[in-house]
Parts: sequence; structure tokens; C-alpha cells
Amino acid sequence: MNSLVRQFLITDADRETERSSELTNEDRPSDALWGSQAGFGHLVEGHAFNIPAVPDPSAFLRLHTDDHADPNCKIKIQHGTTTLAFRFQGGVIVAVDSRATAGSYIASGTVKKVIEINPYLLGTMAGGAADCQYWETYLGIQCRLHELRNRERISVAAASKYLSNLVYSYKGMGLSMGTMICGWDKTGPTIFYVDSDGSRLKGDLFSVGSGSTFAYGVLDQGYRWDMTDEEAQELGRRSIYAAGHRDAFSGNTCNLYHVKEDGWKFIGNYDITKLHYDGPGAVPGAPGGGYGYDVRTDSRFSTLSEPVAA
Amino acid sequence: MSAFHSTKPGFDFSNANRNAFLEGKGVKMPKATSTGTTIVGCLFKDGIVLGADTRATAGEIVADKNCEKIHYISESIRCCGAGTAADTEFITALISSNIELHALSTGRKPRVVTAMTMLKQRLFQHQGHIGAALVLGGVDATGAHLFTVAPHGSTDKLPYVTMGSGSLAAMAVFESGWRPNLERAEALQLVVAAISAGIFNDLGSGSNVDACVITATETEMLRNYVMPNVRVEKERKYGFRRGTTAWTREKVRDLIVSEEIRPIAVIAGGEEMDTS
Amino acid sequence: MSIMEHNGGSVIAMAGKDCVAIASDLRLGAGAMTVAMNFEKIFPVSDRIYLGLTGLATDITTLRDRFRYLVNMFTIKESRTIEPSTFAHLVSSTLYSRRFGPYFTEPVIAGLERTPSGGLKPYIAGADLIGCLNFAEDFIVAGTASDKLFGVAEGLWEPNLGPEDLFETISQTLLNSVDRDAYSGWGAIVYVITPEKVITRTLKGRMD
Repeated sequence: MNSLVRQFLITDADRETERSSELTNEDRPSDALWGSQAGFGHLVEGHAFNIPAVPDPSAFLRLHTDDHADPNCKIKIQHGTTTLAFRFQGGVIVAVDSRATAGSYIASGTVKKVIEINPYLLGTMAGGAADCQYWETYLGIQCRLHELRNRERISVAAASKYLSNLVYSYKGMGLSMGTMICGWDKTGPTIFYVDSDGSRLKGDLFSVGSGSTFAYGVLDQGYRWDMTDEEAQELGRRSIYAAGHRDAFSGNTCNLYHVKEDGWKFIGNYDITKLHYDGPGAVPGAPGGGYGYDVRTDSRFSTLSEPVAA
Repeated sequence: MSAFHSTKPGFDFSNANRNAFLEGKGVKMPKATSTGTTIVGCLFKDGIVLGADTRATAGEIVADKNCEKIHYISESIRCCGAGTAADTEFITALISSNIELHALSTGRKPRVVTAMTMLKQRLFQHQGHIGAALVLGGVDATGAHLFTVAPHGSTDKLPYVTMGSGSLAAMAVFESGWRPNLERAEALQLVVAAISAGIFNDLGSGSNVDACVITATETEMLRNYVMPNVRVEKERKYGFRRGTTAWTREKVRDLIVSEEIRPIAVIAGGEEMDTS
Repeated sequence: MSIMEHNGGSVIAMAGKDCVAIASDLRLGAGAMTVAMNFEKIFPVSDRIYLGLTGLATDITTLRDRFRYLVNMFTIKESRTIEPSTFAHLVSSTLYSRRFGPYFTEPVIAGLERTPSGGLKPYIAGADLIGCLNFAEDFIVAGTASDKLFGVAEGLWEPNLGPEDLFETISQTLLNSVDRDAYSGWGAIVYVITPEKVITRTLKGRMD
């Protein structure tokens, strides 16, 4: 009954938007939208995103998009994820899961959560999938422009700062991103953590998302600077497995990337359940056999174990 | 007695504090099954016809496609239930039981007003927390009677009534089609039309039409009287090949006790057992 | 977060030809975190009756003990074993006695009922958290994956399945449903009840 009533009910917010769009005499979409700027034309000089024309836009947007503040808000943002990246002697390892959830429903098990910004830069996706995808693609455009203008590749520090400043200008309006910008520049392998609150942190090792605590557990235990490439890839894979296994909102598969001096390389896609029962297969660095606890103990429990021979 | 077994009559509130605490912490409380429901009843020349749909819902899910909403009160009194499914089920069972005891102690056939009074008093006592909306009908020594009982305990006595989420659709049919002194077949036809209106126009109602015709001489329960929503048979089958499902452990418990009788062999060269 | 989702878990029961099957997942969670992968939710009530309980784990355990007590008392007082339909009403009235302070659990009952002629016929039933019984001829579902189980079972179930075919159907229904539910899964267990024997199989399921 209520939903029926609501269909015919115009809220104050709707009226406000309508009124102010009349006042500002909303112009037609700029031609730049359809130009040679890959759909980002409205962001060129003098154009910006349409912001709700209400006295306090960020309060309005928070009300409608932030499901932390209000679980019944209109726009749902994907929260469950595990992503990680770490720096070591041989470059940067980036590993992520591939699950997308809408409430308790697993909407997809094949999401690409590593965004390939350019051959030397990777971004990871946690929080709003659309926000990450859009702004990191946009970042790719700006990085290319930087290359053309300055005749050299942009540093990871500069690229991440560009993104950080950009999302900060939209602070409080409902953007939701927790991303790691990973790459190799003149200073060597580099990782920056950037989120929509405006944080930007440089570090050796990060994990972001609902499964990050589980990933950190494995990661911290196995991390060394002088790992071989194989050992490092195995650590990334094993950490995502741990998160996929224990966290309800992470799982399905693990995507693994390795960034070296000559750019990033996609290492592989691994099914988490296969990792549990059989392990990653004949992959260098893997110990052989499944990661699963019950697989390793072969269903033998301490209380039932055979007495040890004297 | 022990905490396991309470001898006190009435509801048990021992979880109420815990649940109120959880609710206070902002935990969403789960919803019980409810019958979105169209239920109706109307008078005719010789008695009463009751009708109901057969859909039970839990939120937006159809929990039961063919449930029974016409409940037994006594041989010639029946009651249709809408609202919280468990409440309609239990309050009609309770009143049916009390009516039987009442009939036994008075030695007379129970009256519809008696059942109606018992229901309204019980519902009023619980101030609407027992979410049962009922259509009560039957024939007794004083004639045919038809009532509605609302969750808070108010009642109505009318010649034709509807209740539940499909009540508007059903009432539209009654308003245009009901006349005094209908024939049995006409009344049954009208009830089927009213319930069908609910089934097809109200999302909370669906599946089949149950009907019940009560006269002074007999009660006819017409379960699934009309089935306008039979599922089409699948053209092909989805049977899985044996061995599709991977399993790791199997345990078989034999329920048939078998024993084998084996005669004890005589020890070679030994003597017979002394059984004297 | 709903209290029914806190620990997660799902149960399904299906009727076949002269047999019934009941299956559950093995997850015990605390919100998003999976705590155990060996939490069984189906309990034997008698030789031919099994009870599945979904919802809040503390209430699952409490009710399992309560029903064991009540069934033992029934057996002693009546000097006979309880029938599935009788047990269903015992479950229903136990839950309804807490109408205004319910246990957060939805039970599923599967068993073989003795007919007046002495034979055994499949019996499955379910109830909501305040004991409204639901008798079905085909299948009963409960738990966090119930929406998904409804859909898959509606598509895969067919009448008159024998024990081995019923095993495949209920297993595939459960496995494929919990793979789309974040709060259920991490292994599964299936019971197939026939007049002669009860077959219990632990399934290999996704572990994420």
C-alpha cells in the first residue's frame, strides 16, 4: 500500500531539483560530450558533473547515496571485496578477488577488479565499481596527456595525487572508492593507497575491502623484501584465497598481476575453490596440494588422531 | 518443572527481553508468513457459502501455493482466516476446541454467535497483537449467520462479506451480483467469481478457489473447487545423470534388523554339551 | 543486518517416490566472517524423521535439545514412536507458544509417515518462526538462500524420483543455490530416507 502511495508522491527533494533546474535554465549537453574525448568531454575546462541544484548538495547526495548513514538509501554501492598489493625486490604484486554482491545475493563471480590504467599503471577496485572504473579510466587519459606534454611517463606519485585531488573535490557527495595505484617509475616499484575520503598513503603493503583483515593475516606472515618472483606471486594468491575462504563477500576467483620495470603482466586467474581442494597446480612457487585446512589435515582431528607409536 | 517445560497456560514471553534488546540494537526483526488473501462469505436461500484463495506469502515470496484458509470450527460452523497465518491457524483451532467442549457440556449444537463471541473476546484481550482477520459463517438452531471479526475484536453481521487484501476486488463482485434468496448454485457461482476477482486482481492472493457450502442438513467442503492456475507440465525433464554430484563421505544406516543364525560347530573329538 | 542472516545457513527438503531427502549447508558465520564449516543443521528425530533448523545458531541448538526432550517424553508417555505429522504439530505449537518472543528459526521436517494400511509415505513440512505449518507435496526450503532455493527447486524438482535420482536433484538444487548466496555454503550434507535405509552423504561444495 505504501509503495503505491509513494508512486504518486513527489518529495521535497524532487521539487527542489525541479525548481532550481528551471532557475539555472539547464543548458543542453555540451557538444564536447560527443567529441574525440572518449565520453569524458564534459570534464574539459568549464564543464563539470551536474550537481543537484539544492542549497546543500553534499547533504542531499549523502542522504541518497551513502548506505552507511542510511541502509534504505536509493543508490546501493558494492562493498564486499578483497584487494591487495605489495612491493618487493622484484616489483609489485597486485591480487584481487572477483565477487560482486548485492545484499546477500552474489551478483557476479567474474568481476575484473584490477583496472589497467596504462601499460605501467594498475588500479584496484574496492567500494563503488562505477566510481573506480570511471575515474581510473579518466586518470588514464590524464596520464597520457601528461606523457604528450612532458615527453616522459607520469610518476606513480603524480598519478595518484591527481586522482586523490580529483576525488577530494567531490568529497561528501557519495563517491566511494578504496583503490591502490600501483606501478613502476624512475623511483622503482611504487604503491599509493587512495580513497574517496581524500587519504593518499605511500607504502610497501596494502589490502583493501571487507576481506582485507584475512588477507593481511597471510600477507604479514609471509612477507619479505627479498622474495623471488614466484614466492611473491604465491603469497598474493594465497592471501586472496584466505580472504575468499573466510569472508562471505569475497571469493569466486583470484586475478593476479605482476608489475616489473617493463610494465605490468597478467599472471593468471585462479578459482578459489580449486585452490582450496587442489592448489594452484604446477605453478612455480606453489607448494603443491590444496590450501584448505581440511584438505591438509585429511579430516583428521586432534581428538580422533591415532596414538603416536612409542 | 524444569526450564524446558513450562506448565503455565498462555504465551511464553521468556525470549521477549532478549528480542527487545536485539531490536533496540537496530537488528531487523524477521517477518512471519502472512496470507495476503481474499476471503469471502455470503448468505443464500438455505444457508451460507464461504470462499477463500490458497496463496500464503512471506514478503514478496509465495511461501505456499495451495494452503487451506477455511478452518474447521464445528460440523456446521467454519471460519476463513486472513492476516498472520500462524495466528489464524491457532486461534481457529483454539476456538474450535472450546466450542467442542461447550457443546459437550451443554449437550446442544453450538451456535455461530458463541464462536463469534469467543473469537472477539480473545482478540480484544490481545489488543490486535494476534493478527487474525476472520470471516465466520455457519448454520445453527437460530438460522444461518455470517460475521466478520477484525484483529482488534470488532465484529460485523452482514449478508455478504469479504476480507483480506483482495477484499475490494471481491466486494465489487458481491455488490453487483448478490441478491437475497439466491439458489445454492448461484451463490456458489458468485463466491467463485468473487474469489477469482481476488486471485487475478490482487497480488497477495492467488492459485485456487476453496469453497464451503453450509446448510442446516449438511456441510460440503469443496477443497480446490476451481483450479484456474495449474502449472503447465514441463516439456522436458531436468533429471541429472547419476554421479553428477561429487561427494566425499557416505554413511548408510540400515533400518531393517537382520540376523543370521549360525549353528555352533561341535568341537572335534569333544563331548556333547551337558544340558541336563 | 537481519538476525536471521547473522549466522547464515540454508536447508531444503524434497519428496520422492517412497523416499524423502533433506539437505543443508555447513556454514556457521558471524556476519560476513565464516567461523566454522562443519556446523550441521539437520538432526535425527526418530529412525524415519529428520529435522532441519535454520536461522540463529543459538536458537537452533536450543530447539534441537528442546525437541529431543519433547520427543523423548512423547515416546515414554505414549509407548510408541512419534509420526512425522504429529512431530510437525509438536514443532508448530512449541514455536507458537512463543508468539510474542519467538525463536529466530525456521524448521524443515522430512520423514516417512506410517499409513493406516501399514505402508510408508513421504512427508515433508516447513514452518515459519512462529509455527505456521506449510505442507507441500514437492519441496520445502528455509534459510538465507531460501529465495534462490525456491527458484532452482521450482525448476529442477519433478515427481516420483527414486532415492538416487532424488539425491542428485536435491544436491544440485542446494549446491547451485548456495553458490549465489553469500551467507550459505562451505560444504553440504544430504540425508536420503527410504523405508530400508538412511543414506548420508557429505558433498564437495565451493569453499568461498
